[in-house]
Order: sequence, then C-alpha cells, then structure tokens
Amino acid sequence: MSEQVLKLDSVSVAFGGLMAVDAVSFQVAAGEILGLIGPNGAGKTTLFNAVSGYYKPTRGRISLLGQDVTGHAPYELAAKGVGRTFQVVKPFSGLSVLENILVASYLRYPRQAEARHKAQEVLKFTGLAERADMPAAGLTLAGRKRLEMGKALALEPKLLLLDEVVAGLNPTEGDQTVDLILKIRESGVTILIVEHIMRVIMRISSRIIVLNYGQMIAQGRPEEVAQDRRVIEAYLGEGSQAANGSTA
Amino acid sequence: MRKIPAWLWILLTVGATGLVPVVMTDAFFLRLFTEALMWIGLAITWDLVAGYTGYLNFGHGVSFGIGAYTAALLIMRAGWPFGPAAVAGGVAAGLMALIAGWPTLRLRGAYFAIGTWALNRAIMQLALVLNFTGGPDGMRLPPFLDPKFFAWVMLGVVGATFLTLWLFLEEAPFGLKLKAIREDELGSLAIGINPAKLKLQAYVLSAVPVGVIGSVYAYWITFIDPVSTLGDLITDQAVVMAIFGGLGTLIGPVIGAILFFAFKTYFWAYLSDYQVLYLIILGLAIAATVFFLPDGFWGTVARRQEGRRALQKGMALAQLPEK
Amino acid sequence: MLVLLPQAIIDGVLLGGIYLTVAMGFSLCYGVLHVIDFAVGEWIMLGAFVALTVSTWLHMDPLLSLPVVFVVFAAVGWLLQPVLHRVLSGSRGRPVLMALVFTFGLALAFRGGALTVFGIFTRSLNTALSQGSWSISWGSFFLTVPFIRLAGLVYALAVMGALTYLLKKTDFGLAVRAVAQNKEAAGLMGVDIKRTCAAVYGLYVGVSAMTGVFVGAIVSLNAAMGPDLSLFAFFVVVLAGMGYLPGVPWASFLLGLIQSFFLIYLNPSYVLLALFTILYVILVISPTGMFRKGV
Repeated sequence: MSEQVLKLDSVSVAFGGLMAVDAVSFQVAAGEILGLIGPNGAGKTTLFNAVSGYYKPTRGRISLLGQDVTGHAPYELAAKGVGRTFQVVKPFSGLSVLENILVASYLRYPRQAEARHKAQEVLKFTGLAERADMPAAGLTLAGRKRLEMGKALALEPKLLLLDEVVAGLNPTEGDQTVDLILKIRESGVTILIVEHIMRVIMRISSRIIVLNYGQMIAQGRPEEVAQDRRVIEAYLGEGSQAANGSTA
Repeated sequence: MRKIPAWLWILLTVGATGLVPVVMTDAFFLRLFTEALMWIGLAITWDLVAGYTGYLNFGHGVSFGIGAYTAALLIMRAGWPFGPAAVAGGVAAGLMALIAGWPTLRLRGAYFAIGTWALNRAIMQLALVLNFTGGPDGMRLPPFLDPKFFAWVMLGVVGATFLTLWLFLEEAPFGLKLKAIREDELGSLAIGINPAKLKLQAYVLSAVPVGVIGSVYAYWITFIDPVSTLGDLITDQAVVMAIFGGLGTLIGPVIGAILFFAFKTYFWAYLSDYQVLYLIILGLAIAATVFFLPDGFWGTVARRQEGRRALQKGMALAQLPEK
Repeated sequence: MLVLLPQAIIDGVLLGGIYLTVAMGFSLCYGVLHVIDFAVGEWIMLGAFVALTVSTWLHMDPLLSLPVVFVVFAAVGWLLQPVLHRVLSGSRGRPVLMALVFTFGLALAFRGGALTVFGIFTRSLNTALSQGSWSISWGSFFLTVPFIRLAGLVYALAVMGALTYLLKKTDFGLAVRAVAQNKEAAGLMGVDIKRTCAAVYGLYVGVSAMTGVFVGAIVSLNAAMGPDLSLFAFFVVVLAGMGYLPGVPWASFLLGLIQSFFLIYLNPSYVLLALFTILYVILVISPTGMFRKGV
C-alpha cells in the first residue's frame, strides 16, 4: 500500500462571501504526479496557498504524511516537507543564484559547510551551476523558474507544489523543465502540479484533478478526465455562455 | 599560504587600533578617536536592521538614550560602579527593543519607520517630563576624566560589537536569512524562515550594543539630557553614515562613519559658528547619497568589483564551445 | 471641570481644522504618488517663515501673504517632484524606502536651513485676527473663540472644499484619481503622468505651506517644529487610513479633540508624550486606520 503524502478533507477557503475553494477533497499518493487543472480563477493557486500554509482553510482539514497540518504557518510546513514554487517567480533579487539556494538549504543543513555542499548539489541538479555567482536578477525567465524549483528542492521536500513552472517558456525550455520534473519524481518526491499547458500536464501526470469555481468537478486518469463532459463544459462552457450574453 | 580567518583579522585590527591611544596621548585627539568609534558602533548597528533586514529604524537613538539614562540613574542614584551600569544599560535597551519590537516589527516599511520615530520621541518626552531623570536639565555624572580609559572602553565595546555582528551576519546563516527577508518577506516563509522571530532577533541585537555605547557616553561626557541622548540627531547621523558608507555590508558603515565624522570634525574646526549649517549638510548628504549613490560609497565599490568579476566569468563562458 | 468641556470641544474642533489641512495634502500625496513625505512638517514650518519674512518686508498682514506662499511653494513642489520620482523609480535598493530616506534628508536640510537663517528662537505671526475673540456666555458656561483659530477652521474647510471640488469635478481631478488607482493604465489612456504627479506634489506642498501660516499665527513658529508637525500629520493620516481621503476629516477632528482635552485636563508638558504614545499604540493596533481602509 503506497503512502499517502497529502490528504485534503473537505477543504474550503472563503474570502468574505466568495468561496475560492469549496469543499475539495482528494489524496496524493507517494511518488505520484498529480495534476491540477481548471479555468482561470478556479481556485488552483488558492488551493496551493492553503496547502503551503499561506492561507488558513475556513473549513476542512489538511494532512501531511498522516499528520494534521491545517492552519500551520508556511515555515512549519516547509520543515515538515512541503516545498513550493510561486506562479509569479520570486527570486531573492539582491542575492546571487547560489545564495538563493543556500538560504533554503539552511533548513535541513544549519551549518555553513554542509549547506553550501547541498546548495552546489541542487545547482548541479537544476543545471544552474555555471550561473552560481550571478545575481538572481540577471537570470532569464527560464533560469528564474529553475531557481524557483531549486529553492524548493533544497528543502528536501516530500511534497513539491509546482505552480505553472512551464508557462512562459519556449518549447525547448519547456521540454527541459519537464525532464527536470520527471527527474525530481524519480528521486522520490511527490508532486502536485498546476499547469495550463495541456500537453505537458496530460503527459506527466499519473492522475488529474479538475477545479472549477473552487469545486472539484472531476478526478481520474488523464485520458478519462479529457473526455469528461463536465470538464469540457467547464473549459468551453464559459465561452458559449459568453456568446449567449450571460455573465459567468 | 593559509588564509587568515576574518575573525582573526578583526581582532588584529582592533588590537592594532588599541595601540593608538598609547602612542597618541593628546586629550583632544583621544576625544575624537573615541567619538569616531562611537559613531562606527551606531552606524553598523543601524545597518543591521536597515541594510540586512530592510527595515528603517528612525528611532535607533532611543536605545542610546535608554542606555545613557539607565547608566546615569544607576551610577548616580544607586551608587553602581561603571562596569555593571554599562551592562545594565545594554540590557535595558535590549528589553525595550524586545517589548517594543514585537508589535512594531509587524508594521510594514514606512509604518515601521514612523512607529520607531514616534517611540523615540515619546521616550524623549518622557525624559523631559519626569523629575527623577532630571527633566530638561538632564543629569550630571561624576567627573571621571581619563581620555585613554574611555578610548579603550569604546574601542572594546565597538570592536566586540563589530566582531559579533560579523560572526552573525557574514559567517552564520543568520545574515543571509535576514537578507532573504529583506528581498521578499513572504517568499522567505516558503523556505522555512520565520521572519517575525528573526526580525526581532535583529532588532534586539542592534539595540543592546547601542545601549552599552550610550552608557559609556554618559560616563564619558559626564552630562546627559533628553535632547542630546534621545533627540533626532543621534539617529540622523547614524543613518547618514550607514547610507553613505553602503547598506548591507559591515564595512560600508565603518567607512561611512569614519569619512563623515572626519568631515564633521573638519567642518566644526573651521566653521564652528555655523553649527546649524551642519544640519543642512547632513540632510543634503542623505538626499544626495540616496539619489546618486544608492549603494553608498563602499557598496558602489563592491558592486563594481562584482561586476568586473561577473564580466570576466561571462567572457570565460562565452569562450566555451557551444553545447 | 465639566464647565470646561464645551471650551475643550470648541478648541478641539478648531485644532482639528489645522490638522485637516495638514493631513489632506499629505494623504493626497501618499494616495497619488505613493510617497510618504517625511518633510511635511518642514514644508509647514517654511511656509510660516516665508509668511513672516514677506509680511515683515512689505509691512503687511501675514494672512495676506497666503497666495504668495501658495504660489511659491507650489512651484517648489512642482520642480522637486521629478527628483523624487527618480528616486522612487530607482532600480537598486528598495525605492520606496529610499524615497522615505530621501525626504528625511530633505527635512533635515530644510530644518538646518531655517535654523541658520532664522535662529533658534520661537516667534509668532501677528495678524489682524490674532488679538480678537468671540466670547459667549451661556448659563454657567463661558466660551472663548479666538478669531484666528476660527479663521484657521474656515481655511481648512475652504481648502477641503476646493480639493474635493478639484478632485471630483474637474478633468484634472479625474486624471489625478486615475493615476492614484493605476498609473500605467492612466498613462495609456492619455494622462500626462509626469505633469499630473508634479502638479499633485506642488499642490500638496503649497497647501502645507499655507497651513504653516495659520500654525504660526495660532500657535507659534520655531525652526525646529517640523518633526512634531510631521508626527501629527502621520497620526492623522494613519488614523484615517493611509491614502483614504474621506477618513481624514474624522481623524483630524478626533486628534484635535484629544489634544485639546489633554491640554485642558492634563498637565500641558505631558501632552506631547501622550500624543506620541497614542500614535504608537494606534499604529500597532490598527495600521490601516480607524476605518481599516488604509493601504
């Protein structure tokens, strides 16, 4: 029986009267790549924020490796094994690439020498080794996305949350990133990934979850989900509703 | 050849500086020497919170005043000897920072600046109205006048402060974590950093040495009053020196303090009638530095070196065969 | 003690008027330019001194120098704003904080300049209205309403009215509000950002300087009074909610009332202490202001 890394139990996140995430429940098994898709505004990033501790769920429970972590702060979750990237990449611009990863390495390796060693490892793993001393602000978008992933990897997470790490990259860079993601999975990290680029997410996910208006409307293997009527309506339905003149 | 570790360099430099009062015994010179050291201490501690952590403490001087008054009160009213009184001054400043820091550090950027400024002015008003602090007339301390003694004490205090800050900021993970908070506080949460805790540590760490320095000041100058110890001028000058020198490094504020203090002394010597002119220069210096040299003197130099190195590396990479 | 209550209230309202003008300009500056000007107190102080100088030279009532003060300072602000803008759009360091430090430096320079030129002594501006007051007897209550303070209130309301009209009913005001909400979009819509921002800053500086004339006449003038005034401005604006203009009148009058109550019921030397402590406490409890609408 494979280990359950993450479990969401009827999690809701409300902002005033708006339910950004509405009673979502699912599990992620160890070693899986679970894809999270849905139209814009479906609540995917909000869900990520809840799982990584940036938002406290209004209702429901989140369990990490069997332990209840609902409402814990982001740094506590990082210590417990959650790593994440941000949709709008947030490098520490005033620091070098190495320093960015180094800061994250301190979580598991509080001593300088070991942290540095870990940071070098992560740099090599993500292909950033040559740019180690460059200021992070000088990286291209592809570089920054890699740095983002590197920072999360330095935490040695059990669960990695990837938020649109392929969007905005050209096809070559995109493929390289996908290879990196697969390499990460091979090293034993469970991945929850949000992505708009369908060919990517359909290809690498073992399972897919679909959100629409904060609710989970489908879950299953990529082929199943792609043919699910509700999913198709969710993506195309807005368009046809708009054509009919109604407001979504 | 084995590299000499930084802490050893620092100790050697402090030791070498300690020989200066042996050689140069002129009382006036020793006064300047002691005061220059004092400003170095004030500037590097301000930089800890401003440059490394990214929070503007416009009430930095409040620790100085609290240290000065604590020591003065203990020495004059409770008969304490100087040493313990100075330590108590540091502890008092640290306690104030601990209590005030926790709510104040929750404030963002400008609010934090205003909050610390308000706190400083409030404490100054307190010193002005309370009788047992001497009110606006201040307090006199016993006239212990020994220039060499104070030169060495100040050197010891500031040297120890510099060494401590160096170890915490440049050698330990603490410094880099603070910088991460400075760059992106929200993002730093995701990599396991607890900003509230670290900010408070930085704030208290910047207050304690300043409290001790304030205590030394009180015993040295033998007279303190609310305006000279809790007024804006302490903070203002520390700010100029740190910014002019370069925020985010420890060497920057040292250079800034020395340069600016030298300028101030020269200025005073030749234009002593125009003391208020100094304020104008101070203000313009801050404004001009922010405008022309946002990285400060040392910062600009350091960046140029970095740039040159990166350029060299870039050129080296460019020569590699295409992958 | 209760017999002093109506006077305390009147005084508070009148004081509030002054704070209103200080805060309106400052809040406008923040709301549109996103700059916290640490020199606001100095602008007020300089306005008072310029009025003093002009009225002494020309042997006229300082109140008559109001238009001159406004024009001069609005021009200064207009010319200064591009410099501020350059600091704000710097690529290195944290521009917003650096802008703060910049205005902090300017404040120091102005203070030093004023101290150099005018010395350390406190003066006061004598105007035609400075001496007189209305005395109202009502049962056992006895109220004094000094003319000059009443004039201050009238001035405050006039400025508030003018600014509100400007912002709500003119094209310029529309441009200003657009820039405040979304600079880029406003630029794309054809608003001249540079000129609008310069104009706003000039307006703010001009209004602050005019307020200085009243502060000088009602209270006193001193080259070192800038910081206290700045703190009052911060107090009002933080209490109102930074950038939230509608909150400013409420906060101003509240501050005026608090201050006058302290002045009447408390030892005057404790007033500043009490005020700064309250400011600190408010900041800590609710940095977004009493209506929680601050930015």
